[in-house]
Amino acid sequence: MHYPDIDRYATLNSPIHNLEPRVKILSFTILIFSVVFVLNIQAALLGLTMAAIILIISRLPISFMIRRSKVILIFILPILLLMPLTVSGTSLWSAGPITFSEEGLSLALLITIRALAAITLVLTLLGTQKIETTLKALSLLKVPGVIIQMLFFTYRYIYVIMDEFLQIWSSMRSKGYAFRLNRYGLSIIGNLIGMLLVKSYERAERVYRGMEAKGYRGNHISSAPFTIQATDYGAGLLLIAIAGALQVYPLVII
Amino acid sequence: MKEAVTIRNLNHHYPDGTVSLEDVSLTINEGERLAIIGQNGAGKTTLFLHLNGSIKSTEDNVLIFGENVRYMPIEKRIEKVGVVFADPDDQLFMPTIYDDVAFGPTNMGLPHDEVERRVRNALETVGLIGFEDRVPHHMSYGEKKRAALAAVLSMEPRILILDEPTANLDPKNRSILISLINRLNKEKGITTIVAMHDVNAVSHLADRVVVLNTTIVADGDAHTIFSDGELLKANNLEAPEIYKLFRILDCYGYTCCHQHPLSAIDAPPAFDASLDANGGSIHLRKNNSTADEVQKVMDTFEY
Repeated sequence: MHYPDIDRYATLNSPIHNLEPRVKILSFTILIFSVVFVLNIQAALLGLTMAAIILIISRLPISFMIRRSKVILIFILPILLLMPLTVSGTSLWSAGPITFSEEGLSLALLITIRALAAITLVLTLLGTQKIETTLKALSLLKVPGVIIQMLFFTYRYIYVIMDEFLQIWSSMRSKGYAFRLNRYGLSIIGNLIGMLLVKSYERAERVYRGMEAKGYRGNHISSAPFTIQATDYGAGLLLIAIAGALQVYPLVII
Repeated sequence: MKEAVTIRNLNHHYPDGTVSLEDVSLTINEGERLAIIGQNGAGKTTLFLHLNGSIKSTEDNVLIFGENVRYMPIEKRIEKVGVVFADPDDQLFMPTIYDDVAFGPTNMGLPHDEVERRVRNALETVGLIGFEDRVPHHMSYGEKKRAALAAVLSMEPRILILDEPTANLDPKNRSILISLINRLNKEKGITTIVAMHDVNAVSHLADRVVVLNTTIVADGDAHTIFSDGELLKANNLEAPEIYKLFRILDCYGYTCCHQHPLSAIDAPPAFDASLDANGGSIHLRKNNSTADEVQKVMDTFEY
């Protein structure tokens, strides 16, 4: 089966791929926070430019970025359309009671650019290392074990649940089911979801027995032989410096 | 001989009252190859869960190498008993194969070097060297099954329990797994206990067969069990196809060796023995009673 792996391009070779996972997570997180907290469009554009440069350095295919980000963009586009209509201020255009405000447009552009930059950075971060590497690095960064275990299991079993969903779906299709947006169609989908929940519950019990059989006592167990080199420190500091510059830049310009 | 497993009058029922095990008593010696066969819901998995302490009997009646499994610390239990479950997706819960195989030894509190050694040895044993960084969802079912076995072997258990080891495997992977289990028994002296429906594979994996149907219905060597058609039918089981074929050949006047073969691999020696005993030739004939005899074999062994 074809799985939509977010880490499909994790084995490429680029300076971003080679960055030590913990350093990468920390510096990218600081950069992402810096980007989403900038207060003017120029700084946001600078952040987006930086994100684009990092993406180019990472050699991740643009098609991968577009495919991955379009779902998130669906939530951002309404903001771009609605903000100019709902935020009051200098009118750029009006038709009856509807006013298209300059302040609204600026705010919408700011939010959209910040979101685009953040999405680009998040996808670059997640796309340039294996998911398990990200989770192990998070574990070493002292993220609570319960959260790490939940993320580990989510990652491991999402594919198993997908397979189970497809099995049930194929079985439904083989019995002539075609989805229709009516009461019957929705009730069948409800049954499918219910069946998946029951199957997941039963599997969880079996997995727990499997864990017990290997001596699980509630602690997160994973090894991660990561080592930070001088170049990692350099690259990490550079990214953090960019994050700082994005915050300082508007103050200098003003 | 040392007793690896001792069970005395074990009873178990589920919260809804369904009886899963009733007065089960069983002794398995160290190094033995045992198969437990039984219909669905016969209690095989429940029995296994008692052996590794996942289900604890309320009485002191499950002993592993003479020690009560109830009071054994978990790290000692997994060192003694390893269970490979039927569905490898239930057992491979870590993102990479390395993490999964290292999970047991790490829980045992072993030093990093020893964990590394065990992971390497276990993966080498099952033929999965190079799979350390692979994720289970990118592996075939046969590979996952072997990885699940490696994840148990890394704990170096003295007793290996396998629930339906050959289920859903293609013939090649089935054969690989059977050879692997036998090698572990022969070379490392591991006591192997398998639960299976695949009667054609039972004689490859076990010298002793136990029929379980909530309680132990029969216990003996594979020939004794598979020649008892009534017993098999009463427990919704069947005899291996090769065995049935040789029983039909008997109806046509073929005089077999002292034991009918239970698998294809045992058939040539059986023919050789027959040829030696019959002056170098085998004759089949049909007489008035042949049809009745064939019908009797069919009635006994076929559904």
